[in-house]
Amino acid sequence: MSPLWSLALAPLPLAGAFLLKKAWDEPGPNRPRFILGGWGLLAVAIAASVPLMGPARGPFVMLSIGSTVALILVAAGVERRNAKKKALRELAPEPSDRRRVVWRGWLRGFLAGPLAGVAALGCGLAVAICAPGQIQSRMVIGGLMVPFLWAGGMAWTLSDDKILRAFAVLAGVSVVTLGAAFLKGAL
Amino acid sequence: MDGTTAAPAKTKVAGKPIWPKVPAEFVRAMLAGHSALGLAFAALIYLVCFSGSIAVFTQEFGRWEQPAGPVLHDVTPQAADAAFREVLAKNPKAHDLFVRLPEPAYPRLSVHGDDAKGGEHTWFADASGKVVAEQQTPWMTFQAELHTVLHLPRAWGGFIVGLTGVALLSSLVSGVLSHPRVFKDAFAFRWGGSKRLQEADLHNRISVWGLPFHLVVSLTGAFLGLTVIIVGVLALATFKGDTSKAYALFTGPQVKDDPRPAAQPFNVEAALTTLKARYPEGRVNYLYIEHPTEMGQHASVNVVHDGRLSRGETVVVDGAGKILGEVGYESGSVGMRVLSTMTPLHFGWFGGWPVKVAYLLLGLGLTAVTSSGVAIWLARRRDKGRPAPRWERIWIAFVWSQPVAYAFSALVAVLSPPTPPVAVWGLATLAACASAIVGTPAGISIALRRIAAGLLTLVALAHAGFHFGSMADPVGWIIDASLLATAALLAATTLKPRSAV
Repeated sequence: MSPLWSLALAPLPLAGAFLLKKAWDEPGPNRPRFILGGWGLLAVAIAASVPLMGPARGPFVMLSIGSTVALILVAAGVERRNAKKKALRELAPEPSDRRRVVWRGWLRGFLAGPLAGVAALGCGLAVAICAPGQIQSRMVIGGLMVPFLWAGGMAWTLSDDKILRAFAVLAGVSVVTLGAAFLKGAL
Repeated sequence: MDGTTAAPAKTKVAGKPIWPKVPAEFVRAMLAGHSALGLAFAALIYLVCFSGSIAVFTQEFGRWEQPAGPVLHDVTPQAADAAFREVLAKNPKAHDLFVRLPEPAYPRLSVHGDDAKGGEHTWFADASGKVVAEQQTPWMTFQAELHTVLHLPRAWGGFIVGLTGVALLSSLVSGVLSHPRVFKDAFAFRWGGSKRLQEADLHNRISVWGLPFHLVVSLTGAFLGLTVIIVGVLALATFKGDTSKAYALFTGPQVKDDPRPAAQPFNVEAALTTLKARYPEGRVNYLYIEHPTEMGQHASVNVVHDGRLSRGETVVVDGAGKILGEVGYESGSVGMRVLSTMTPLHFGWFGGWPVKVAYLLLGLGLTAVTSSGVAIWLARRRDKGRPAPRWERIWIAFVWSQPVAYAFSALVAVLSPPTPPVAVWGLATLAACASAIVGTPAGISIALRRIAAGLLTLVALAHAGFHFGSMADPVGWIIDASLLATAALLAATTLKPRSAV
């Protein structure tokens, strides 16, 4: 039955996305109502999925279906432009220009890859070993933190122009968290 | 996401922005990091995303590859026991056997085990439990392993795929931070005009609306891929490097190894009958039976409850079918319950076919985001008077090499099943990438799309022709029809577009 429920609820996020698009298309006195109505319908779709498809499963089903129908709506509204005619555009931000120095490139790669990975692993390990709660929960939560923190560390080190600062922070976090984890050393 | 922004399509009264102003320097720095990371991992992210989109339908491809069945929607405990015993008889010293019961996504009764020489086989049984055929689904296995381990040794392959997931997650973070107009431009989707701005619209719209899906699959994928290294380090810190002790925390009640011969082989019928009584609302989808002919015989049996996000509860039973305890995927701690959702959430195996279709489309969307990210970088270089024509050709050839290579490997798998699909895929990828030596990016793109469309048509026709009289599983026809529809769509994209306004 659940495949049918997900299809039955699909018009809700579609209508929500439609109202948001209407607010985007037509700025006017009704814009706040469209925005409120759009987000409201998206929230209703998720809320309705809970009793129909389960408290954990329903919202994830609706997020998947909702994203898909919203993208279809956006794609349906594609505006074709003349390839020969220059379109008016705002000035796009450009990535910051950095000096191209080989050692900085390698150091940045080392920070974003191995060092951010070790720091993230240290944090995850510290949670798994030192945090309160059941062993399995600590391990899973610590494990889930690793990719998330690694990704954050990667994004930061690749963006921060002050790479020595990033190096110091990541090295410090690694030493503290791994030290704490290995010192405690028992689950 | 690319920071390129566009003027609104229509003249609008500017409303007061509800988002805080992000400093331009911060955006530019984030864009630089986003760009560097995206370029470093572009090919890997593209490959993992494309293969992952296809892997959503792994079970359906298995059914398509061997559509003769037997198609079963339910079996009796006696039939499951009979199938198990028949396969066990082929190798009575088998260390373990994996019995898979019919379920909606995969309506087959199968038993997997080693032969006396160590070769692995999976056998299909009919409704009475009689073994009737050996599973021959090399293409299904190929595409699943390409996504999960890139056909590398498991530890390395899993790590590289996990690292790719981290890079993707990091790109999402830096992409969102470098795109301050994320909601303001949420519906602007224009095609034509400047190549860079067209790709930017595509990149940013899919990124924004697919964001919940992108976060879920990259986080779960990175977690699943990095499990080996995370558990390894954890074991090093706490169990003197003994990873089995760390894994034991997640496998439920432990059964002592007792190699003395048992009076009777493991009793599948008793186990299923006991579990049906204990979990009347549940449905067993597999039994992993260890030491089936020894005194230490036991099984981990997975019981699925429809309507839950979890992969099911695993119950450990002894040889006589007595329940020894649950692993705790559904009844245990928060961590166990979260863990049990990782695989269904990653592959879209939790909401029936609508969610699978949504995952396929969103996965292909993420693949397009990766492709357009590199295209934006190349277009930006061209706009600045520093074009990289060789890289433009190589990238577009690589992008379209995958539909070609997947279709060609599937065609060879249909026509000549013993040929290893991974070798065919590798050669086809190389050949398609070699097209970068000649032609323009647009020409390469059109040629490879047409080749892929032609190959997909051939796959569908060859498959339907080979299995015409024996297609017991309707999924065979559905996938053939879908392949033809995909081929038609792909071919249509190569036709000259209508003149734009």
